[in-house]
Amino acid sequence: MSDTRKSLVSALSYRDPRAAIAWLEKAFGFELTFLVEDADGNVGHSELSFGSSAIMVGGEWSENHASPASIGGKNTQSIHIRMTDDVDAHCARARAAGAQIIAEPETQFYGDRTYRCRDLEGHIWTVGAPVEEVSIAEMEARSGHKISTPS
Amino acid sequence: MSSKILVALRIAAPPEAVFDAFVDDIALWWRPNPLFSFTPRSPGVMAFEDGRLVERLASGKVFEVGQVRVWERGARLVFGWRQASFAADQDTEVEVRFEPVEEGTRVTVEHCGWDSVPTDSVARHGFPDAVFLQRHGQWWRGLLAGLAEQANSR
Repeated sequence: MSDTRKSLVSALSYRDPRAAIAWLEKAFGFELTFLVEDADGNVGHSELSFGSSAIMVGGEWSENHASPASIGGKNTQSIHIRMTDDVDAHCARARAAGAQIIAEPETQFYGDRTYRCRDLEGHIWTVGAPVEEVSIAEMEARSGHKISTPS
Repeated sequence: MSSKILVALRIAAPPEAVFDAFVDDIALWWRPNPLFSFTPRSPGVMAFEDGRLVERLASGKVFEVGQVRVWERGARLVFGWRQASFAADQDTEVEVRFEPVEEGTRVTVEHCGWDSVPTDSVARHGFPDAVFLQRHGQWWRGLLAGLAEQANSR
């Protein structure tokens, strides 16, 4: 069997992974592709796909794994969702599901339209889609920064 | 029934075609796994016949994996799943859902009831529960990949 899975996969910790899975399906349009639940209904392992990528969702399964909800909302990494669809519609869907919108959709100087939100347990997500092709020179003019490119 | 394995996959064919491939072509897409064989004489040839899922063994014997409990073409299929080593009170169930999506069908397999099979059962090979369910789920992943290939080649 050919393995088409990506080399990098993020694994997120939630206090209530079952609720998180349902929320991520509803808010972001993720699709559950793999789930193992033990006899008590606890999530042992799960995978959700979006576009060509996937994430894993689990509990706070060791002393060193915590949901932002357990550590004052702190995030030590966040996931960026890169899409091609309508970012404003995606934001509206997330908001309707209860996402806390931290930054409303806005077109950035580099040509992506993005928004930023917190999910039901405080994980921060950014979402973006390209809406405009911007040259490096134009990015520099808009941002006022020198943007070097690898040579 | 608890202890659940869920595996889902999108297949680029209509729900009826995927359903037909699942039940009519199971001998073609099935991939026997020696860890989870139904009988000591497996593998045989899988088939849905007379309202049940069976494995036809080389000896000519037919092993009944389980009765079909729901048969809704293009939508839902539910059948029992027992290994020869199961005691009378041990039973698991497989539910397969076929949902239409833009590109074709989202097929979801839910395999429940492994909590009825004790952890020291020969069927579990001494694996801790989580490891057993994980490995069994990976097998289902491979099976659905086989189903996808078969459904696309019909």
